[in-house]
Parts: sequence; C-alpha cells; structure tokens
Amino acid sequence: MSKPSDLVQGTLDLLILKLLAIEPLHGWAISRRLKVVSQDVLQVSEGSLYPALHKLEQEGWITAEWKQTENNRRAKFYSLTRPGRKQLEAESASWHLLSSAITRVVRLSEA
Amino acid sequence: MRPEHWWYTLPLRLRSVFRRERADRELDEEMQFHLEKLIEEGVASGLSPRDARYAALRAMGGLAQKKEEARDMRGTRWLTDFLDDIRYAARSLARAPGLSFFVVLTLALGIGMASAPMSMVDALVFRPYPVPHPDRIVNLRSTSPYSSFELFSYAEYRDIAARAKSYTGVIANGDYIPMGYSLKSGETARVRGGMLVSGNYFSVLDVTPQFGRAFRPEEDQVPGRDPVVVLGRDFWKQELASDRTIVGRTIRLNGTVFTVIGVAPESFPGMHVFIRPDFYVPFAMAPVLSRQPQKDFFHDRDARGLIVQARLAPRATLTDARNELATIAKDFEREHPQFNRNRGGMVRNQVQMRTRSDDPNWKFGIVFLVLALMVLAVACTNAASLLLSRAGARRREIAVRLALGAGRSRLIRMLLAESLLLAVMGGAAGVAAGFALIKLLTRFAIPTTLPIHVPFQMDLRILAGCAALSVASAIVFGLAPALQSTRVDVVDGLKAGEAELPGRRRLWGRNVLVAGQVAASLTMLTAGLLVMRGFHHGLVEGVDFAKTAKDHVLMATFDPRLLQYDSTRTERFFKQLVEHACQAPGVVSAGLTQNPPLGLEAFEVLPLVPEGAEMPKDRETYDVTMDTVDEGYFEAMGIPIVRGRAFRSSDTRDTPRVAVVNESFATHHWPGVDALGKRFHLGKRGGPLVEIVGITPTLRYRMPYEKPMEFVYLPLAQRPVARLTLLMRSSGNPLSLIEPLKGIVRSIDPDLPLVSVRSYMVLYRYNAVDGPGIAVKMSMTMGAMALFLAVAGLYGLISYNVSRRTREIGIRMAVGADRPDVIRLVLGKGLVLVTAGAAIGLALGFGVERVMNTALFNIGGVDFLVYAIVVPATFLVTTLAAYVPALRASRIEPTRALRWE
Repeated sequence: MSKPSDLVQGTLDLLILKLLAIEPLHGWAISRRLKVVSQDVLQVSEGSLYPALHKLEQEGWITAEWKQTENNRRAKFYSLTRPGRKQLEAESASWHLLSSAITRVVRLSEA
Repeated sequence: MRPEHWWYTLPLRLRSVFRRERADRELDEEMQFHLEKLIEEGVASGLSPRDARYAALRAMGGLAQKKEEARDMRGTRWLTDFLDDIRYAARSLARAPGLSFFVVLTLALGIGMASAPMSMVDALVFRPYPVPHPDRIVNLRSTSPYSSFELFSYAEYRDIAARAKSYTGVIANGDYIPMGYSLKSGETARVRGGMLVSGNYFSVLDVTPQFGRAFRPEEDQVPGRDPVVVLGRDFWKQELASDRTIVGRTIRLNGTVFTVIGVAPESFPGMHVFIRPDFYVPFAMAPVLSRQPQKDFFHDRDARGLIVQARLAPRATLTDARNELATIAKDFEREHPQFNRNRGGMVRNQVQMRTRSDDPNWKFGIVFLVLALMVLAVACTNAASLLLSRAGARRREIAVRLALGAGRSRLIRMLLAESLLLAVMGGAAGVAAGFALIKLLTRFAIPTTLPIHVPFQMDLRILAGCAALSVASAIVFGLAPALQSTRVDVVDGLKAGEAELPGRRRLWGRNVLVAGQVAASLTMLTAGLLVMRGFHHGLVEGVDFAKTAKDHVLMATFDPRLLQYDSTRTERFFKQLVEHACQAPGVVSAGLTQNPPLGLEAFEVLPLVPEGAEMPKDRETYDVTMDTVDEGYFEAMGIPIVRGRAFRSSDTRDTPRVAVVNESFATHHWPGVDALGKRFHLGKRGGPLVEIVGITPTLRYRMPYEKPMEFVYLPLAQRPVARLTLLMRSSGNPLSLIEPLKGIVRSIDPDLPLVSVRSYMVLYRYNAVDGPGIAVKMSMTMGAMALFLAVAGLYGLISYNVSRRTREIGIRMAVGADRPDVIRLVLGKGLVLVTAGAAIGLALGFGVERVMNTALFNIGGVDFLVYAIVVPATFLVTTLAAYVPALRASRIEPTRALRWE
C-alpha cells in the first residue's frame, strides 16, 4: 500500500475525517476541498484518496451513501460515523501533541 | 482493527466478501466520476479533451493499481483470495472429473475406515465420564501380587471412605447384576440389569436426577430398611413410557417392593461404557439383591466385589491420593493380616484405568486405529500420485502463471486449495461411510442375558476427528505435488512441455507400494472368500438338530438364586416346571439343560479318568466339556441317541451314576470297542465311577465351524444345578408358547423372573447368520477396499509415467512405433507390478488359508475354486487400471508431443 509521500504518515486519514466532520462529501469534493483549504500545500495524488476512503469505511469510521450531486449525477457521499468522530478527536489530539512537540524541537535548533 | 468495534466492522467485511461484485462496481463508478471531473477541469483550463483525459489518467496514478489498493483496504483479502482459490479449484477439479472422483473415493474410504476405530478408541479410552468435572474422578483399586486391578470389599470401602482425606467423597458400586423386575405383584417378573451403589453415589458424582431425588444418607445405613431405587433413563423411557408419575410409586425387584425415588438424567447413562444400568439401589438393600447369600456382604473383608471411585478434593493431586491409599493399605495389612497380606492400593485416573494392561479391548481398538491410519496413509499416497500424474500436464499452466507474476506461495496455496477441496469432499463421504460402519457395529446384537451397550457412536468428537484427518490428509497428499509442480524454471517450463521430473530411483518406493497393494488386495479377497466358504462348510455337518430346533424350540432361563431359593426348593421348582411344561397345549416335549448347544455361555469342564486307562505322564485327568441335562433334553433339543439310551427318570441320586457321551469321546477313549457299558472316574482316579449308557453323534457345541469336540452329558438328578434353561419343543411356532409358559411360572412362583425367553432361532441366527454375516461382510469389504486402493494406486502410477514420457512416446511414434507398441510399452510396466503383487498375494493367501483351516475352520486342503475366482479377478481389474492410461498414451499425436519441445 503506497502512502502519499507528501503527507506525514497517517495524516491523510485525519484530514479526511476532519473534512467529513463538517459535512458529507464525495471523493472528488474531498480532494478539491483539501486543495483549497490547504491553499494547494497538501497535494493528494488523485488516486490515493480512494484506498484511504475504503480503509476508513472498512474501519467503520465513515459511512457512504449514494446521492445526487448538485448537477444531478450519482456520487458516493461519505459522512462521519459516531466511532469516526471519536477517532477524529483522538487523532486531532495526538496531532496537536505531535505538531507542538515538533514545533518546539524545531525552534530549539534555531536558537 | 481495534477489538472494541469488531461487531461494527464485521458486517462491512462480510458485505465486502459476499457483495464483492457490487462493491467493485461502486468503486469503478466512484473513480470514473473522479476521472470525469478531472477531465472537465482540464478542459476548462484549456486542454483538448484528449490531452485532458491523458493528464487526468496520469494524475490518478494508475487506475487498476489504485482499485487493487482500495480492495486491499477492505481487509478481507485473504478470505476473498481463499474463496477465489476454492472456486478455481472446483473448476479445475471439474475439468478432470474421473480423477477427482477417484481421489475423493480413495479418501472417503480411508477416512471412513478410520472413523470406526476412532470411535472405538474414544469410547474405550478417552470419552470422559458423563459427570461434571470428570477429570477429578479417580479409581481406587486393591492390588495383590497377582493383579493390580482387584476390587475392594464393602468393609474395606467403608474404612477407606472414613480414613481418606484426599477426596470430597468416595463412592462404590457392585457388579451389574440381573434383577427380576415387575411393575405389579402377580405379574411375571422379567430380568433387567441393576447395580448396588453407595448412598452418596449421585451426590459425589454431582449428578442430579431428572425427576425426584437421589438417595438420602440415612437410606444406606440400616440393612434392608429402605427399599428405594433410582431408575436408569433408558429403562424409564422404554419400560415406563417416560411416565413422570412413577416417582413415589413402587416397583418389585426380586419380589421385594421398592419405592422409586428418582430417574437418572439423560446426560448420565452410567459410569461404565458397556452397560446402562436400569436400577440403582443402595448397598443397604444387598440382602434381597445379592446372589451370594452364603457370603456376608457387609462384614466379610474378603468378599471383594466393589468398584471404588472417588472425587479428588479441590487441592489434592493424584500423587497425594496414591500415597494416602498406600498408607491405608499398609494399615489394613497390619489390622487384618489374614485377609490383607501382601495387598496394596492404587489410584488411577480415567485414562490410566481404561488403558489397563490386562484389558485387550482397548488394545484391539488401538491396533484397528493404527491399521486404519495406515490404510489412510496408503490412500493419501495414492491420491498424491494421482495428483502428480496431473502435475506434468499442468506444468505449462503453472509456468504461465509464474511468468505473469504469481508468487510461488500463492500458487502452492492455490494447489493446496484443490487438495483441501478434495479432502473435504472425501471427508464428508468418509463420515457417511463411517456412520454406516458404526451403525453396523452397534446393530450387531450379542444375545446375552443382560444387554451389552455398544458404546461406539458417531458424535461430535468423532466428526471433529474426521475433519482434522481430512485437513491433515489434504496437506499430506497435496503438499508434495504442489511443491513439485511449482518448482518450475519459468523459461524451461514455457519452452518444453516437461522439465526434469524425479528420476527412476524415486519411483522405486511407489512401485513397491503399488505391488504391495495388489498383493494385499488379493490376500484380503482370498481371506474373505475363505471365511465365507468356511462358514458355509461349517453349516453342513453337526448342526442337523439346529435346523429343526430353530423353528420349534423355545428356551427360557431361570435362576432361582435371585429369590434366595435353597437347593431343595430349587430342585422342586424345576421338577414342577418341567411337569407343567410337558402338559401345556402345543408342547411336544420339554427338557432342561445347563447350556443349550451353540449358546453363549461357556460349558463346564469335567475332569475324568476312563476306568483302567493308562494316563499320560504329564496329566492326572482328561478335561472334557460337559452339560447337565434332564431326561427330556435329548428329545426336546432333537439330538438322536445312536446307541444305548437317554437318561430316564429312574436315574436318581440313589441309583448308579450314568452318563451319555458323544462319538468323539467314545472313539478317543475306547477305539475299536463299543463304549457302551464302559465306565470312567469322576475327577481323579479313585473318584466315583460313572457308566456310559448312551452315545450321541458329535455335534457342534460352541460354534458351527469348530473342530469335532469330545462331550459328556450328566443327568440333572445326579448333579443338581441352580441356573437352568427350559427347552419346550412345539409343533408350530415356538413363540406361541410364551404366554402358556408365563402362566406356568406365575402359578409356581410369580416373583421368579424369566431371565430370558427366546426361540432357538436367536442362537441359530447369531451363530449361523449374523455372526458369519458380519465377518464375511467385513472381510469382503476390506478386500474390495484394498482392491480399489490398488486400482487407484496403479492407475496413478501409470498415468504419471505416461505424462512423464509423453515426449519419449511421441518420438517413438514418430520413428515408427504403432499404437499396440505404445500400449505394450506402458502396460508392460503395470503388468510387472501386477504380476509381482499377485505372486506375493497368492503366497500370502495360501498362508492365510492354512492358518484359517487349522485355527478357525475344520477344513483341510486347498480350495482351488477360491483362487480360480480371486486371481483372475484381481488381474483383470488391476490390468484395466493400467490399460486406461496406456490407451491414452497410444493416442498421443506425435506431432503435438514433439511440438511441445
């Protein structure tokens, strides 16, 4: 299984969960939203999104439903489940912990 | 996956397994949607639709790979792969239906054969006691210099129970004894089997009766005071039609009224696998149920007849218990030197007890099991060889798969899935075969007085065993071919039709195995036919009496000791019985015997010395088989008196002793002289003299196929016996005499049970029909099975050879060999094996015939007819097995075979 090399291991899951916490989205929308929100910094290779989505679905953190898009096409909309929300909290917390730790280390080396 | 929500994700996973196609379609659609959006975006930014499409595909980074990754994410890869393998295996096997069928049948036989001895060994050794925490139950035995499996007396049991500290309770039970049962007074009593047990029997075993209650402690204290009984489940079901209201009511046992206090639960058929007691009665009631009134059950320390068991206390170990019992035994030795000199004690757990060195049953079970596993091993070898014969043909397929990037382990898994599928089918068929086999074993009833329960059954334990055997054999017979056929050099495999295969030397073992199978099948078939012929022969001579007796004689056995009759009362009873029986309507004649011929109980042996005979140096007496009969016996049984007379009512205790002997006895001791009027000493020289007054022909006494036996009859009047069988000869159906007989017994003593009532047909069938039938069936089945295995083995081996030599055969044909040449070439090898095997088998067959003739049947010479049937049949069938692949080899197209290069 290839991980997006431009993302820290495991962070793609966090990003997807976070985006879905706001509203249900289909795959395409997630990839666009990611691009826009991160101001093009976070580039997910277009195809890698789907294995990640499938994994999250398999874990039971997100669930999918076929719905009509705004221009009347069928698309698979993903939304967060209750265990997914818990997982998001846990992952956010550990991300904060990790990023602040890294930030501190990086500052230290500058001083 | 985190354990806490497996319940949540499980349905998802199941969905991805069972609705895989739909999931795949959805994935397609989803990614297609993404792709189209990307293209739209590209077009919007000014690319041509074509360029936009290419850019989009690049951006997606390989659609197929991503889809595969997404599938991997479902986390059910191994399962879907496995299902794929099975599906593929099923297709692949269906392509070679003949071979698959052969393999399945081979395995079915192997596993089916193994299941019956497995159930035997399980029942005899491993099946746990049917009580809670069976592993804590141990067996206490008295040991003497002669045996370490002796029993304890009641007094000893009480002392052990009082002194031992290692147990939460010590229990004991007596023998399984006949008890005369009737529901109401005045009804003819019938014999059923029951057991005397200690009052704490059920509570220590932790068995709660289904209805009612178990014994109270005080019910086992005062001899004869509390006639209470707990009924066995089977008895309650069959005899009392599962009547729950029986609890609290009474039944009669040996003429005494007992109150039913409970019914044992379904889960507790009894502690001993062969018997299912109908009644459990506390020891305190021994005075009315024991058959040895002369011994004091409660006080004689050497009346050792109790099986003592105990439940280990929570912290006690087997070693503790052993040390403790050893100490107690030492104390016994000191306190009662006259009874307990050189006696010790031993404690054993269930398995140790059941694998006792002096019991042959479980050893037979183990021997059968080992034999069956060997047959299974041979079956596996044959299956492997059949699969290997395909491996050559599949070489290309495998090479292509390897070239396309399949991992070797993946291919091995695929091939193993095939053998697993075969094994599962074989196992299922084998279980069915085993079921039939065990049924056959249990249905064969031995006409004993008290029923013997055949404990062999196809239960979950045996099913699990069969499943384990199936999987194990799948690995055994599948792994070798799988390893071999995947060890392919891809380039070679694609280029040439066949690469190097194992050389000559490796085939040696298989050649020997196949020849051995041919030999074994020929031997077994010979043995089967010989057994059949032996039984048939046995039914020609010496059983004339049985041919009319089976349709006209009713037998009823009585044991007045059950009611504590003394000898005068016993004698009077039998006298009245015969008198009444003779007068009953439809009765032609009636007589008494200790043991009817071809019965199940052993005859007594009479030591005697012919008057004036010179005894051989190494012996004091001749020991001759004997029966005690009354004056009506010979007529009732239909045994003719050749010379002299039968017994008369004038032969009494006060007249000179007389005997009737058979011709074998007469000619042995008085060769060339008429034995009538000659005399012999009873016991040693100097014992009372007995005059021979009659001579009968030599019959078959024990088995229909025995050797001629010497036999002596003594008159009942001069040699009283307590347990006798009444023979009533009817003009019509003997079973019509049952009701009159019951009336007669009722009129003499209604409490006296009929130990058994049956027509002579039962013994005749057992000896002449069922017993031989099962022996013939088993030996013929085994012979047929062996032949089948030999066929499978030979076919596999020759097919393998053909597939190995395809190229060579192609060349031979290209340079001018014609079809018969090829057939000869291939078949020749098979014929060598068949001939070698048949020669060995023939030699073994002669050996078997000699052993059978001397040990089993009273026949001499060689039965050429048997060999005239078996040898050509074996030859024909095995040659056919070799001919089929030979024919296939001859159809090889030279051009195609060579193009494979």
